[in-house]
Amino acid sequence: MLLALQSLAAYGSPTLRWGADPSGGAPYVYADPANPQTYTGFDYEFAEALARQMRMNAEFVPTDWESIVASLNRREFDVIINGFEPTEDRAREMLFSKPYYLFRLQLTVRKDNNLISSLQDCKTSGKSVGTLVNCAASRLLENGGYIVKGYQDPVGAYQDLELGRVDAVLMDVAAEMFYARRNPSLKPAGKPFHTGAYVVGIRKSDSLLASRINTAIDSLADNGTTERIFRKWQLWDDEQLKLRTKGAETYDMTSRTFNWTEGLIKLLKAAAVTVFLAFGAMIIAVILGIPLALGQSKGGRITRTLCTVYIEFFRGTPVLVQLLFLYFGLPVVGITLPGWLTAIVGLGLNYAAYESQVYRTAFQAVPERQWQVAYSLGMRPFKAFRRIIFPQAFRIALPPMTNDFVALFKDTSTAFAIAVWELATAYRELANATQSYLGIGLIVCLYYLAMSLPLAHYAHRLERKLQRKSTGILTSGTEQ
Amino acid sequence: MITISGIGKTVGATPLLSNVSMEFPAGKILGVIGPSGNGKTTLLLCISGLLPFDRGSITIGITSITAEESSLRSEKIWQFRRQSGIVFQHLHLFPHLTVLENITEAPVHVSGKPKAVAEKEALALLEKLGIGQHRNKYPEELSGGEQQRVAILRAIAMNPEVLLLDEPTSALDPIRSGDVRNLLQDFAATGHTVVIVSHSVRFLRGFADYLAFMGKSELIEMNRTQQLLENPQDERTREFLHHSEMN
Repeated sequence: MLLALQSLAAYGSPTLRWGADPSGGAPYVYADPANPQTYTGFDYEFAEALARQMRMNAEFVPTDWESIVASLNRREFDVIINGFEPTEDRAREMLFSKPYYLFRLQLTVRKDNNLISSLQDCKTSGKSVGTLVNCAASRLLENGGYIVKGYQDPVGAYQDLELGRVDAVLMDVAAEMFYARRNPSLKPAGKPFHTGAYVVGIRKSDSLLASRINTAIDSLADNGTTERIFRKWQLWDDEQLKLRTKGAETYDMTSRTFNWTEGLIKLLKAAAVTVFLAFGAMIIAVILGIPLALGQSKGGRITRTLCTVYIEFFRGTPVLVQLLFLYFGLPVVGITLPGWLTAIVGLGLNYAAYESQVYRTAFQAVPERQWQVAYSLGMRPFKAFRRIIFPQAFRIALPPMTNDFVALFKDTSTAFAIAVWELATAYRELANATQSYLGIGLIVCLYYLAMSLPLAHYAHRLERKLQRKSTGILTSGTEQ
Repeated sequence: MITISGIGKTVGATPLLSNVSMEFPAGKILGVIGPSGNGKTTLLLCISGLLPFDRGSITIGITSITAEESSLRSEKIWQFRRQSGIVFQHLHLFPHLTVLENITEAPVHVSGKPKAVAEKEALALLEKLGIGQHRNKYPEELSGGEQQRVAILRAIAMNPEVLLLDEPTSALDPIRSGDVRNLLQDFAATGHTVVIVSHSVRFLRGFADYLAFMGKSELIEMNRTQQLLENPQDERTREFLHHSEMN
């Protein structure tokens, strides 16, 4: 009932709610650098003009690019105006307006790269190509069998290109002009190619709205508004005239076909990456946790303070922020790590803080008298630690360590933020490709469970085995 | 032989030991008695080299440490610690090791004794105390008295000059306590010194060769067991013995 009222209100009111992703969205829609509370961009101006032409008020709804179609169908907004390309797979679940702009794609490489001058060169030399996820370029690359690295926004893609984490970036000319053209360390490789179109995306049930929008797009083209907007953004070229002379179907449509076998294999590969990340990070955490724990409980004043600062910093800030910091922040001081290594190091540093606390409590749970007995039997501190204290502390630490490892397993999903192709990234991409968030989601959950359950089971068995040997501490009474 | 020369220890403003001196021959058993909180355990820990003291020196056999050396992690303190073995009131067996491993751990991994030899020796002692059948059990599976026997064997397996026992009566199980007595007496008879801290005069009577009475942080008097019990010189000793006989 409420929903019906809302949608009635959407039709009846003179408001056109349009969705776009403003993060890294220049020059389409982005926060105005001069006035960060307001937005600007050619799509922003076009949406305003379109609404005015339809005698409606434009209301901008910021959203996430990767799931923009799902958001449209969830009625978070009424139309998509976001450099949105018509593709065959999208056509199954929505309507497209007629094109209001024809775009081309541009390949970009580093200035010193003389080997790549076309997409074909990337393929023959086995180089990876970065692009935005879920766009015409990504579909083109995937169908062409290129090594693709998907990014959430163009900024990350061009930054990785500069840092050498990818060797080429394929992007719409509009984004390429804004983010790469003036960058002195990058250069275009070859000429722009592939003509695609930007359209307004509309829900399948809103055919009336679609035809009103088509009429308005024609009017804006006829009265020169479209040309004025795109000229202002230096994106007008003669190509656009085709829209007027030849009708609508003058652009290339990319599509995405989904092959379930291929999809499952992709998921399996992503799961392997997840396992790799989790084990790598845990090894760092387990090893680094020991000096941290010792430093915090037995070190001098300075060591103690440093360890505490480290531990509180990594426990007190989100791991996602830490990963972004390492991935995008460290290159500023000249340290550039690939994504997978960043994820392992970042998660490892983070979990080391947690492991150190597990160790510290475990060591403190072993009575001081155990050290004394070992000393009086002639053991030196290192031997006493290795043979007497550590084995006891280990069985105390094992259950919380298992918990942490399972948690770390799941936290590897944060690596999607730095474009590592692990299981959560794979889920987003494949679910987007198929629009089967439920089906693929269940499969992904099964993958996670298939990895974490045996781990928990094995740890539990190990615990029981150790417990059968002994419960740990015999007596902890106080003595004089 | 133990020689203690004027050792003192103060924590904050509280004296735990004030100017304690004594000389004690090898081959004998010494009982240290006195009310709780009077520094008996502190004295034991100082002799073991596990607790630093502020003044004086302690000599066991030919190894001695001064107050300064007792607080350093020097080579000397590690050597000094090997002169004595200690059995704590709460025993503190290694919970992750079996009975046999508890006893052979130090001989094998500190002295480098061949494992088979260490195990054979340990087994002989376990059999002697009637707990050979428990050799592969873990400490928590044993009774308090059995655990105590293992703790004593763990200490004497390193063949220390001095064996120190803190309040052994709290764990002793009466049925077998004769075995433990024999073991300690045999150990003393082979030229070792045994020091037992206890508040139970009844336990030490007819077992310890000498008795020392500790008043508040000081050694009041020390004598042959019978003489100290029958003819105490100090009023505080008399009062303590009077009270403990009433209990």
